[in-house]
Amino acid sequence: MRIVDSARPKGLSSLAQYRALLLKDLRQEIRTREMLTSMAVYALLVLTIYGAALSQVGDKIQVVSFAGGLLWALIIFTSLLGLNRSFSHETESGCLEGILLAPVDRAIIFLAKATSNLIFLVAVEVLVLPLFFLFFLSGADLAGTTFYIALPLLIGTVGVAGVGTLLSTMTIDTRGRDVLLAILFIPVAFPLVYACVSATTVAFMGVEGTFGTFWTSCAVAAAYDVIMIAAAWGLYEFAVDS
Amino acid sequence: MLVRDAVGPAVEAHGLVKQFGDRRALDGVDLALPRGSFLSIFGPNGAGKTTLLRQLALLARPTRGELHILGVDALEEPDVLRSRIGLISHKSMLYGDLTAHENLEFFASLYGEPDQARIDELLRLVELDHRRNDPVRTYSRGMQQRLSIARALVNDPDLVLLDEPYSGLDPHAAELFDRLIGRVREDGCNRTFIMVSHDLAKGYALCSHALILARGQVVVCAEKQGIDAAAFKDLYLATVGMGVA
Repeated sequence: MRIVDSARPKGLSSLAQYRALLLKDLRQEIRTREMLTSMAVYALLVLTIYGAALSQVGDKIQVVSFAGGLLWALIIFTSLLGLNRSFSHETESGCLEGILLAPVDRAIIFLAKATSNLIFLVAVEVLVLPLFFLFFLSGADLAGTTFYIALPLLIGTVGVAGVGTLLSTMTIDTRGRDVLLAILFIPVAFPLVYACVSATTVAFMGVEGTFGTFWTSCAVAAAYDVIMIAAAWGLYEFAVDS
Repeated sequence: MLVRDAVGPAVEAHGLVKQFGDRRALDGVDLALPRGSFLSIFGPNGAGKTTLLRQLALLARPTRGELHILGVDALEEPDVLRSRIGLISHKSMLYGDLTAHENLEFFASLYGEPDQARIDELLRLVELDHRRNDPVRTYSRGMQQRLSIARALVNDPDLVLLDEPYSGLDPHAAELFDRLIGRVREDGCNRTFIMVSHDLAKGYALCSHALILARGQVVVCAEKQGIDAAAFKDLYLATVGMGVA
C-alpha cells in the first residue's frame, strides 16, 4: 500500500505559525508580567540613581547635552534584563524542543520572538520615557522635536530586539548567560547604540543646522537594523538547532 | 507531491555517527525497525541513548551516516517528517502558565489548523478533560506527563519517541502512564514506538524489539521473541559489564 500525501500538512502556513508563537508569548506575559515588571522596576531604579547622580550638578552642566547617552544607557541595560528572560518560559520544561519538533521554519521562530521582545521593550519605553523627560528634561523645550526623538528610539529598539533575540538564543544553554549576553550584545550592538545616541542628542539639543548629523545617524542605525536582522534571520536555524 | 512508502521500515539507519568535538557519542549505529513495533533502547549513562533519540526526533543532525524514517530521507526532508513524529520526554514540554487546552491548541497550531474535536478527544484520552481550563503549573507531575502524551499526539504521529518517560513518576502515575501508552498502541494507527529507558524490567515488558547501546555502538539489537526478561537482563549485564560501556 502506498500513501500519496502533500509535503506540507493541511492548513500549515508560516503566517499562522508566526501568529500562534507571538500570541503565545503575549498571552504568557499578560498572565505573568514577568518580563515587563522586572524591566519596568529596573528602569525606575536606574532613573533613581540618575537622579541621585545629577542632583549635585547644579546649573554648571546642561543635562540636555548628554541626556541622549543617559537615555540609551537606560534602554540598553533594561533591554538586556528583558532579553535574558525572553526564553525563560521555553527553557523551563523543554518547551523550545516542543516547538523545534514541529515543522516550523526556524526563521519564523526568530521573527515571532523578536516581535514579542520589540512589543515588550516599546511598552517599557512608553512607561519610562515620560518619567525620564519629567525628571531630567522638564526645562527643555522639546515640543517641536518629538518626531526627531521618537525616530531613533524606534529604529534603535527594533535593532536591539532583533540582535538581542539572536544572541539570547545563542546563550540559552550557557552557564552565566546573564553576563555572557551582555558581553556579546554590547560590542555587537555598539554601532547601533553610537548612531542612536548621536541622533537622539541632536534631537534633544534641537540646534539648527545639525540635522544633517541626525539623518546620517538615523541612516546608519537603519542600515545596521537591516543588515543585522537579515543576518540573524539567516543564522537563526544554526543558533537554535545547536 | 511526496510519495510515502507505507510498508518499508519505520526507521532505517546506516553508519550513524554523532561527534561532539573529540567525543563520538554515536559510533556507526545501524538500525532497521519494522512499522508498528516497539523498540526499547537500554544502556548505561553516556552510552548515547538520548543522542540517538535526538537524531530520530530531528532535533539534531548526525555528523555522518544515513537515516530514513517512514520511508523519507530524514537528512534531506526533515520538515516533511516533523509532522509525523511525536516526542514524549521526562520534560513535559508544556507551558506552565497556559491551560491544558491552550497548550494543546498552541502546539496543534504549529502543525496546521488546530482541530478542536481532536484536542477534546486527546484531553478525554488522557483523562484531563475536567481540568482543561486550569494552568498546567497546578498539575501534579503525573498529570503533566499524561498531558505531554496528548501534546505528542496532536499531530497524530506515525513514530512516537519516548525519552525516559517514567522519570520522576510515582508508581501510581507510572501505572496510569503505562495504561495510556497501551491505549495509544492499540488505537489501530499502527504507530511505531521507540523508548529510551533505564528501567530494564518495564522497558523490556513493553517492547517488541530491544537494543543495547554502549559507547555509542549497538551491542545487541534483536526481536524480543524467544528471549525472556531474565535472559535479557543477563545479556545486558554481560555486555555492559564486559567493559563495553
